[in-house]
Amino acid sequence: MQNNKISSFQFLVLVIFFTIGSSILYVPSILSIKVQQDAWIATIIATIVGLLVIWLYITISMWFPKLTYIQVNEKIFGKVLGKTFSIMFVLMLFLYSSSLIAHSGTFLITQIFPKTPAAPLNIMMTIIIVMGVRLGLETIARSAEILIFVFFILFLILSVALIPQVNYLNLEPFLQSKPTSILGASFVLVIVSTVNSITLLVIFPAFLKEIKKAKKNFIIGNIIGSIIIIIITTLCIFVLGSPTTSRQVYPSYALAKVINVGDFLTRIESLMATLWILCIFFKSILYFYAATFGLSQILNIKDYRPLTYPLGIIMVVLSLLFYPDILDQYKFDAKIAVILSTIIGIFIPLLLVLIYMIRKKKLKKDPQHL
Amino acid sequence: MISSVGILFLAIVIVFLEVPSLLQKKLKKEFIVFSILLVIGVVSGILFSFGVKIMSPVDLLSYIFQPIYNLMGKS
Repeated sequence: MQNNKISSFQFLVLVIFFTIGSSILYVPSILSIKVQQDAWIATIIATIVGLLVIWLYITISMWFPKLTYIQVNEKIFGKVLGKTFSIMFVLMLFLYSSSLIAHSGTFLITQIFPKTPAAPLNIMMTIIIVMGVRLGLETIARSAEILIFVFFILFLILSVALIPQVNYLNLEPFLQSKPTSILGASFVLVIVSTVNSITLLVIFPAFLKEIKKAKKNFIIGNIIGSIIIIIITTLCIFVLGSPTTSRQVYPSYALAKVINVGDFLTRIESLMATLWILCIFFKSILYFYAATFGLSQILNIKDYRPLTYPLGIIMVVLSLLFYPDILDQYKFDAKIAVILSTIIGIFIPLLLVLIYMIRKKKLKKDPQHL
Repeated sequence: MISSVGILFLAIVIVFLEVPSLLQKKLKKEFIVFSILLVIGVVSGILFSFGVKIMSPVDLLSYIFQPIYNLMGKS
């Protein structure tokens, strides 16, 4: 099962998709609610802070290059505590995976298919995800490799077509919000796009061919993804202005609606919806893959494939339960998910580092240690 | 009603797809985990289709995190 390894370029693509993920859809509005027209500063700070987080994850994963994060947990914390933390980790991944499916469902219903109930859309998304996970990581990575070009072409069209609409006055008054609130807002973005990439530690050292190159690509992919979020947020502020951005649930979709090139190329937002659906799909599939694979490793199961169908059913039900209304969605994305990810993505890894420092001598004798 | 029949039908299809190969390879542990997950999925799906209020994990999380969440709201 561990034979299907992916190349470092494929890993780069997966990291880019994962970093952009769902943040491209709702982060501009969450940021601009908090810091108005200074949202773009928050994204730049978040990129820099995010690099620190990625550095922490790379250090952790380099101790045992042949093990996944779940096995590392067990090695360092011991069996009972390690398994508890791993179960929390897997549950979080599973929750986020279904939250993203709920997101894609809500997005499609509110913007494109207003009369379709949520269940069929979520079920269709889940069928593709379950299919992809059953086919294995290699298939996911290859499809990401192809679709990244579609993504970048569409993104280029979007950003170039918006240049005539840019209004620099929307940036003023410059740096009006407090530095603390800018830091708080950038913290949300760090959590959503970077801390959640602890998911990738399930595949990071163990499934890669060239680890050294992949280490670099982890950082590069994170920077590219963050730059795309910076561009989108800045464009939202430039074109729509911060009041409109904070009022939208999906500001980047509203951004695509105002594209108007010479009164000829207009209303291409449905084409642009491909962008968000692609990102959400890859982020969600990585979460689901990591969750099923992690579960199989916690329970010492040889093959994760039999678990995918039942987990798929649970995921559909969960995604339908997730957001009773749009306020819950905002509360979950901006507050609850942030706390949950902080605990699982920052506190537990830091604890891991601490315990590793204490048990260093004993762990270095381990044959799987680097 | 129809959707719960659909879920049961889906569950039967999944059992037919997965269980023979699991039993053939004598993977007992896999079979147990698979059945537990399938039962959870089917039961929650049927309850949901009948409109029974199931507690979602989000409510549980927001209950647990309420104190931290209040702290964050103030700052």
